[in-house]
Amino acid sequence: MIPKFDAFTNEQVESIHEHSMKILEEIGIDFLYEPALEIFKANGQRVEGNRVYLDRKFVEEQIKKAPSEFTLHARNPENNLVCGGENIIFMPGYGVSFIYEADGSRRDSFMEDYDNFVKLAGASENLHMTGGIIADPSDVPEEMKHLKMLYSSIKNSDKCFMGSASNRERAEDVIEMASILFGGRDVIKEKPAIICLINSISPLKFDDYMAGSLMAYAEAGQPVVVAALVMAGSTGPATIAGSLSVQNAEVLAGITLAQCVNPGTPVVYASSSAITDMNSGALSIGNPECALFTAACAQMGRYYGIPTRSGGGLTDSKLVDAQAGYESMMTLMTAGVTGINYVLHTAGILEGYMAMSYEKFVVDDEIAGMVLRYLKGLDFSEDAFGFDVIKKIGPGKHFLAHKHTRKYYPIELRDSELSDRRPYNDWEKEGLDTLQRAKKQWQGVLENYEAPELDADVDKALLEFMEKRFAELKK
Amino acid sequence: MVTQDEINSKAKDAVMDFDDELVEEICEEAIDAGLDAVSLIQDGLTAGMIEIGNQFNEGKLHLPHVIAAAEAMSAGVAILTPVLEEQGGTTESKGKVAIGTIEGDIHTIGKDIVATMLKVDGFEVIDLGQDVAITTFVEAVKKHKPLIVGSSALMTTTMTSQAQVEEQLKEAGLRDSVLTMIGGAPVTQEWANKIGADIYAENATDAVAKCRAAAGEC
Repeated sequence: MIPKFDAFTNEQVESIHEHSMKILEEIGIDFLYEPALEIFKANGQRVEGNRVYLDRKFVEEQIKKAPSEFTLHARNPENNLVCGGENIIFMPGYGVSFIYEADGSRRDSFMEDYDNFVKLAGASENLHMTGGIIADPSDVPEEMKHLKMLYSSIKNSDKCFMGSASNRERAEDVIEMASILFGGRDVIKEKPAIICLINSISPLKFDDYMAGSLMAYAEAGQPVVVAALVMAGSTGPATIAGSLSVQNAEVLAGITLAQCVNPGTPVVYASSSAITDMNSGALSIGNPECALFTAACAQMGRYYGIPTRSGGGLTDSKLVDAQAGYESMMTLMTAGVTGINYVLHTAGILEGYMAMSYEKFVVDDEIAGMVLRYLKGLDFSEDAFGFDVIKKIGPGKHFLAHKHTRKYYPIELRDSELSDRRPYNDWEKEGLDTLQRAKKQWQGVLENYEAPELDADVDKALLEFMEKRFAELKK
Repeated sequence: MVTQDEINSKAKDAVMDFDDELVEEICEEAIDAGLDAVSLIQDGLTAGMIEIGNQFNEGKLHLPHVIAAAEAMSAGVAILTPVLEEQGGTTESKGKVAIGTIEGDIHTIGKDIVATMLKVDGFEVIDLGQDVAITTFVEAVKKHKPLIVGSSALMTTTMTSQAQVEEQLKEAGLRDSVLTMIGGAPVTQEWANKIGADIYAENATDAVAKCRAAAGEC
């Protein structure tokens, strides 16, 4: 692995921390969830209405309790993931309601799309887990969505997955399903198996859904990704430093709550912050400012000793075009080189978290493979230098036929999966562009995908639990 | 004593293991045992090469495997050639190809790969080397009477000399006796059309396919 890049000085990182502490002490943060307010009160913090004022020493003590890394368990142990340290975890986009088709048309996302993306992520060599609400299934009743989505994640792949955080009751449901899969609540408390995304509402607010879900996961010893999405210029100051101080205050407040509920709860320090497009007021994510937020996130995580989440294959484009490509490469590459550990939205995103695209998913999967190759760095062993081979071949000859080449090219020279590197005449025969090749690729993967077998008894227990909950939820 | 089938099978495996030294040993062993060199080339070495070629076309193997197998096969053919003549047998040559990197250009790798691939495909290759003067191409056509004469150029500055090959072949009255082939990074079909070259080879595989087609036509 290559050394990770620091974009900012230690003094700059500390200045962000100082301003966030001042925000939490003097301005405070709102929690619209009574049990959270009770916990802060019980820990001696000043609470006025929904406003919580956090003492800096208290915050600094609490965030020290969060582990610097943790293992997330998969039903196939080979797919277990360590979150933290040098590791980087890639997964699909999250939370969209639309599918943008290759022809530029837009439609609602369905359960079948969710299933398909789990399968595509399951088949990918570059995506380490299948993610969470990849595409919101509009054809499933609201109260059943979290159950159906989690079942699909369990059934269609044996990689790690995320669970719902839409409210406390639903969080409890998916934690129960994870405990059925892994053999009980005690088991998953020891071996965390379901991770969720908790979002603050910028500026400086947590609602009851998110705070409730956070507490449910923390009580069960399951990891939480505590994220802030500050839009510089609208939900935060136009200055990135100012917005970083707001974001940092929100994330630290969420992490503090998790540690109060259950000291040692695994958490991920997360930023999805970006900028406001001042022409329309819309969120814009495929830009260098977003990459700077990502770089800052990685460094704040190192400063606090907590794993981080940020970046992704982020774009504002509506199509899989050059804009989608260059924006996504910049934001995903930044996540990689700055040392982000957990990359939600690695693959599939179009138009600022609004939509998933099958073709974009394939493009981002290729970008992810390129970034992973870059991060691996180089082999500097004596054998890799190959002095004797260079000597034997000498000036003017080629290395193609030497066994040193056969040994090392598969390790050192990544083959492309989507990019066309053929000479013009070979390419010309079909003459396909990236979009057309991407479409062929995902269709081929889905056609050949076989889901890893799920134990029949576990499957039955999961289905029975879901049936029971469907009946209860209908009432 | 080792049988012909056994030695052919060993030679095939050795080519597929890219083991040029083992191929040489096996060929020596076959000569000592008085076995048929033609059969060894066709049913041993070539059979291995064909299998490697098939796996390359299926995407299971890559260029380093094909080149390495080709070099292993060539090492064997070099040992067997004198014996072949003694035994009075011949392997069927698809035709002669004279090939070189053009005047002013010392980029030989692409030309070398094409030469190796043509050799293992059954062409008799006359390798003229690098920085080859136009007159040398003409002389080679006169002397060897090849089916095809090929020139490679990696630079736009040396590419123009490929037109000179056409011109000087015409002046020597040899142009109609030979097919001209051109290749190299800046070279295109359009360039071939412009200077009147018969064959444009985009890469080694393309060169082999087009030389095969040309040999079939004659």
